[in-house]
This record gives sequence, structure tokens and C-alpha cells, in this order.
Amino acid sequence: MLKIKNLKADIDNKSILNNFNLEIKPGEVHAIMGPNGSGKSTLSNILSGKKGYDVSGEILFENKNLFELETEERAHKGIFLAFQYPLEIPGVNTNIFLKTSLNAIRKARGEKELDAIEFLKLVKLKAKELKFDEEKLNRQLNVGFSGGEKKKNEILQMSILNPKLSILDETDSGLDIDALKIVADGVNSLRKKDNSFLIITHYQRLLDYIKPDYVHVLMDGKIIKSGGPELALELESKGYENFN
Amino acid sequence: MEEQLKIDFEKFLENTNFSKKNVEIKRKNFNNFIEKGFPNRREENWKFSDLNQIISKNIKNLSFYHDLSKPNKIDQPIFIDGLEHNKLVFVNGRIEKIEFDYEEKNKIEILDDLVLEKPNNANNSLLFLNNAFVSKYFKIIVKKNYFLQKPLVIYNITNKDLVSKTVNLKVDILLEENSSLKLIELSNDKSNTNFININYNFDIQKNSILKNYKIDNNSNSNIKYCFNNINQDTDSVSEIFLLSSGSKFIKNEINCNLNGKYASAFVNGVFILNETKHHEIKTNINHIVENTKSYQLIKGVLEDTSKAVYQGKIFVDSKAQKTDGYQLSKAILLNDNTEFNAKPELEIYADDVKCSHGSASGSLNEDSIFYLMSRGLNYQEAKKLLINGFLLDVIEKITDTEIRNLIKNIMNLKQ
Repeated sequence: MLKIKNLKADIDNKSILNNFNLEIKPGEVHAIMGPNGSGKSTLSNILSGKKGYDVSGEILFENKNLFELETEERAHKGIFLAFQYPLEIPGVNTNIFLKTSLNAIRKARGEKELDAIEFLKLVKLKAKELKFDEEKLNRQLNVGFSGGEKKKNEILQMSILNPKLSILDETDSGLDIDALKIVADGVNSLRKKDNSFLIITHYQRLLDYIKPDYVHVLMDGKIIKSGGPELALELESKGYENFN
Repeated sequence: MEEQLKIDFEKFLENTNFSKKNVEIKRKNFNNFIEKGFPNRREENWKFSDLNQIISKNIKNLSFYHDLSKPNKIDQPIFIDGLEHNKLVFVNGRIEKIEFDYEEKNKIEILDDLVLEKPNNANNSLLFLNNAFVSKYFKIIVKKNYFLQKPLVIYNITNKDLVSKTVNLKVDILLEENSSLKLIELSNDKSNTNFININYNFDIQKNSILKNYKIDNNSNSNIKYCFNNINQDTDSVSEIFLLSSGSKFIKNEINCNLNGKYASAFVNGVFILNETKHHEIKTNINHIVENTKSYQLIKGVLEDTSKAVYQGKIFVDSKAQKTDGYQLSKAILLNDNTEFNAKPELEIYADDVKCSHGSASGSLNEDSIFYLMSRGLNYQEAKKLLINGFLLDVIEKITDTEIRNLIKNIMNLKQ
């Protein structure tokens, strides 16, 4: 589904990612762990098409060159990024934003757009699954939401948009144990044989709830070690500094 | 221009039947205007908008007289659809319709032959011009304890026959004790390069409520000035909303005196400007007695080479303890050639007050755009959603639901 070959990314002549390689097959869950500044967020930004990086190498998503697609086209093709710091958008009602987003994606895929009633039915169901306070959906997007609510809102969007590849950028940071479980349940319920996940995190904690198929260790812009879930435990006990 | 003015003024007097006293007052006003002329940037109030220059640049051979003797046709589709309302219709400055179909007849009084009582002594040459040339001076009185059933819409229409003329309108509105009026002013201009000079005087007595929505939304090349003087008595409320978007130039000036305890004034507005439009909102909120409140929120979205100016002043008299005054202005500049000038001013002579002001301008937040695009919206859709959200913040302050929805429709903000 996703093939990254020799990815190199610079920002302001500073190298962030270098010789980065990764392949994710349909249905797989990959976790990338790494210390601060190792390039984790850059990776998620580049996958979703954020401007401002000098990039070279190759990223194929379902055999299509990602560099040729705009951010919104990547979303239409099924890439979703759960932001580390979801933005507050004053004046934009959350429900209206969700509906606009869903219908933009459905339209691009040639599917019928949902009307207000169909949409509300769907959003109600998903909000209930995630124990997300429905009343909040009538508020301005993320404005006045707690850190945990913002993260849950990301997962709610993910479950409504039903992407093929979901990238979770430190979704666990700032979540208490209860919220973490709800978020993990949300992710697990979306695990299907053709949906893949890339989970970016500092800690092993989230991986107790979402069992990854593969764990990769990212240091200084490249993957230095890959393995199964046991790698996360090893990392947790040794720490990044003593790892190698 | 002075020669033209004198000729036009004499012609104007010849063609109207003012009383001797009225003519005398008009002459005084006229002379005052001749002496001062159009305001220019040397006056503090006009430092960001040099009206003298704007007029000479945009209007060729401005004339001060035009024939008001013949009635004008009103195009029906101009009336707001889907909102039951009372009507006052001006076409090219001539009153064509007064219709209060929804109200009890003896609760509203309309006077249309008022005599100016004395020369206006305000230091504002445009008011002198207005007083000198206005042909009918209207007064609408809402009687004690009467709440209008439906809004009043003042249509200010100009048609395409009107070119390079000056239009002067003067309307006084008196809300007697415990009364209420919702007033929408809607301009609709098919004309080109005229100078339109409007003067409103609102007197809001005890316990009364004025909601005033000023809508300048259709694109036109006229130059406009609208001066609003508001006097508020105890427990009165004024709510002003300005949609400043359509005209080549418009300056809305609001002078509001909070003369009675617990009086409050809300002034909210949005600039939506493109091309070479240049708009200004100037406010003077005067807290004269204690326990009065004012709130101002102005937002602008500027494109092309447009320019917006907000000069907001809060004055607090030494007697006006416990004043609560707030103002904030924000602008989104969609490119480098736009300009937003904000001059917040606080002048405070009392020591127990709560006053704040702020202003900010900048471009659209690219991170927010990225967030929205990552959810499948294209750049234009993301930009529109952010801009609408930015403006909706002000629109949501409109307390009347029906009128709020009407204004959202006019602005294409309906979600």
C-alpha cells in the first residue's frame, strides 16, 4: 500500500530525514518510535503533503507517486493524518466541517454525497462509539476543547472518513488512561484486512492497546532497527540513549 | 468648485419653498461649508481617508443640485423577500414610499417638513453640507410603550440616471420611553460616481431598544459618508451592525452618548473589500455617567488593493465610574497590497473603570489551511471556510435571529 524509498527531507538546509525506507502492506499496523527531534512529525507532514520541505526519493501510495498529489488529493485517495496538535478553527462549526470534509472525499471518489440527515445519523453513531460528547459537535472546531477531546475528535474524524492509511502522530500524548483506551478501541475497530496504520509515538504505552505488527526505531532521520512488538518493550526498558 | 456650489445652492433654493427662517438657517450652514470645504487628511478624524482627494479623484464635475420634483419608479424586486417589514424608500434622495402596514397607526408619527432649529454647531463640514442642501428633513417618532411588530427597512436606492450628483438625507428617529425599533438600512446603487451624505440622529429614551443594521453590499462606484449621532437615556440599548462592502468609499461615523445609567451600546461590523475599495468605521463612544457599557467588534477581510480603517474611541467622563468599555478589531489581509489601519483610543477620566482595546491583522493561517486540506478540502474551500468562520464570529453577535439569517443570506454565509 505504502512504499517509501530513500526518502530525504530537508528544511532550511537542515537534514531531517535521510535514507528513510518503509513498506506498509494492506491490513498492517506499523509503529514508529523515536526520541524528540528524530523526524517523526516531519514524516507524517510529508506523507500528508505539507509544504515547506525539500524532499527527494520516492513515496508510492497504491503505486501512485505521492509527490504528484496535493494534500486534499491524498485525503481523497484515503490518507488520513491524526494531528499531534489539532488546530482550533474559530467560527467553523464542527459538524459542518465534518460534513464538508466527508462529502468532499465522497465526491472525489465518485460516491453520493450525504444529506444532512444521513450525515447526522452516521456522526451520532460514531460519536457514541467513541464516547464523544455529541453536544461538542455543535461547537466551533476544537475551540475550547481539552487536549483529550481534541485527540478524540481526530479519531472521530478518522472513523467517519474511513481512510485506507491512517497516520497517528503522537495521538497518545496528553491522553489519560480512559481516553487512551477509547482511542485505541476506535483504532482497533477500524482494523480491517485492507486498512493500514502508521502509529508514531514516544512511548510503548499505546502499543499495549493497539498491537502493532511491526515496530521501527527512528533515530537521526532514519530507521535504525525494525522488529515485532517485543522491540517496543526492549526500547522502553533501555531508553533511546542506550539503544543501538 | 466654490462657484459651482453657489450656483447650485441658489438653484436649489429657487426650486423649493422653504420658510424664510429655514432659508436663513440653510444659508448659515452653506456658508460654514464653503468656509471649511470637504475634510482632508490634515484633520485627525480624516487622516486615513482624505475625502477631498477621494472626491476629486473619483467624481468629475460634482454637482450639488439635482431635480427632485419628479417621482421615480421603484423596481419591486429590490424589496427584501421573505421578511415582513415596514418600508421607507428613497430613490435618488427623493422619498417615494412610506409604508407602516404592520403597525398600529397612532403609535408611529412621521414628520417630513421639519425646520432646522439652529445652525449645526458640530465641527463637521459634511453636516453643514447636509443641512444646507437637504430638501426634506424627516423625523420618525415611536410612541411610548410601543414595540414595532416588524422591522423597518429604509431602502436607499440610486438608479443609473444619477451621475456625479450629491445626495443628502437627514432622518431623526426618536424612541420614546420603553419602545423598540429594529431598523435595517439597505443601500442599492445602480448609479455611478455620486457623493451620498447621510445624517441620522437617534434619540433613545429610557428603557428603549434600537437595533440598527446598515448594509452596504452591492458593488458601486459611489462615495458615501454616513454620520450617526446617538443619544441614550437610562437603561437603553443600542445595537449597531455594519456590513461595509459594496461602495467604492464609505465612512460610517458613529457618535454615541451614553447619557443615562445602565445604558449600553454595541457596535459590530465587518469589512469585506476587494479591488480599490476604501472603507472606514469611526466611532466615538462617550460614557457620560456611571454604570454604562460599550462593546465594539470589527473584523475585515481585504483583497486586491483594498483598504479599511477603524478608528475606535472610548471616552470616559470623570463621573462615569464603573464604565465597562471593550473594543477589538481584526483583519485578514489576503495579499500584500491591502491595508488595514486601526487607531484604538481610550480617553479615561474616571478611576474605577474596566476598559480594553486590541487590534490584530495578518494573513490566513497556513497551518489551519493545511489541516482543512488534509481532510479533503481544496485550497479555495479551506480558505472560504476559514474566512467565513472569521466573519461569523461577528455575525453571531446580531441578536435578532430573523435578521441574522437575512444577513447571512446576503453575505452568502448560510451553512
